[in-house]
Amino acid sequence: MASTGAAVPFWRAAGMTYISYSNICASLVRSCLKEPHRSTAASREKVHFAISKWANGKPESPTIRSDSAEA
Amino acid sequence: MAMAALRREGRLLLISPVSYNSPVARSMINHDNELGLMGARAASTQAVRSRMKSVKNIQKITKAMKMVASSKLRGVQNKTINSRGLWQPFTALLGDAPSVDVKKNVIVVITSDKGLCGGINSTSAKVSKFLYKLTSGPEKDTKFVVLGDKGKVLLVREFKNSIELTVSGLQKIPLNYTQISVLADDILKNVEYDALRIVYNKFQSVMSFLPSVSTILSPETAEKESEAGGILGELDSYEIEGGETKAEILQNLAEFQFSCLLYNSAMENACSELGARMSSMDNSSKNAGEMLDRLTLSYNRTRQASITTELSEIISGAAALTG
Repeated sequence: MASTGAAVPFWRAAGMTYISYSNICASLVRSCLKEPHRSTAASREKVHFAISKWANGKPESPTIRSDSAEA
Repeated sequence: MAMAALRREGRLLLISPVSYNSPVARSMINHDNELGLMGARAASTQAVRSRMKSVKNIQKITKAMKMVASSKLRGVQNKTINSRGLWQPFTALLGDAPSVDVKKNVIVVITSDKGLCGGINSTSAKVSKFLYKLTSGPEKDTKFVVLGDKGKVLLVREFKNSIELTVSGLQKIPLNYTQISVLADDILKNVEYDALRIVYNKFQSVMSFLPSVSTILSPETAEKESEAGGILGELDSYEIEGGETKAEILQNLAEFQFSCLLYNSAMENACSELGARMSSMDNSSKNAGEMLDRLTLSYNRTRQASITTELSEIISGAAALTG
């Protein structure tokens, strides 16, 4: 998925997609909020799901993406 | 826990009329042998009473589930309607191309983790099966990404070799954009696609939902389409800040479009799920009420019959003594 252009943005050169780049930016903006608003905004930042890849018609053991996925 | 209890009660109900081991059936047989035709006395009132009790419990559970679904629905509905603002600009800018014919299709099916919500999961599965038939062909490759346990169960038998990824446990916490975008990122990294098609149930009202498909083109396909004209062809008329090339912009847009559309679709589907659960639980509490009425009637009738028989026995006994 790497772009072929010469001037690749630095975050894509680091192997990030636009989504993860914008997510990191969003979480930075959220952490700039003042306190009562910050904790409400932080509650919208929670991540939890289990994803499993399938190979040859069988699911592999699921990886759980939880809050640490943001870091 | 409520679901488990419901299942247990349901099984009890299902088995008891058929099986000859159940107390109701046994007492029927016995009383036929012992008392002959009129012996209404022995049609065990106890079995009917326990039946009534279990039906009443089921009714309580379904009513509670309806209340839970309706209170959750209110919040989710608001968020869903707000999230529609996320895809509308994309459709205005990039258009929606459900009829696009490409080699590598990825169908993203959105279903729920839990059941007892009417037909929304089977509708999603049906639409995605249809879409699979529509998009597959020689030299074409169609893959599934399934969100939710129910969709996995419905699709695994027919398409287990086409399933690429399955996701579950999304709804353990309230759905939010960050969560969906991390998921979208994971999906994009793990599948190769020319077009992504998201299948979900669009929320219309508590009673109705509309199975829908939204299509996201890969940057390369989008570039090809834009050369062919249409809404995508007008993309060149926009003035773009920064020195990025069109391919880069399209790639960024495609990624962001996917995560936005996935968020909206997941919200819509969660909303439809709650609505469908509300109406189906409403129906089942109504049915349980009807069943309870019927059981009460038959219970009272048997009781009255046995009282009448006993009375007539006493009277005839007394008459025999005096006479």
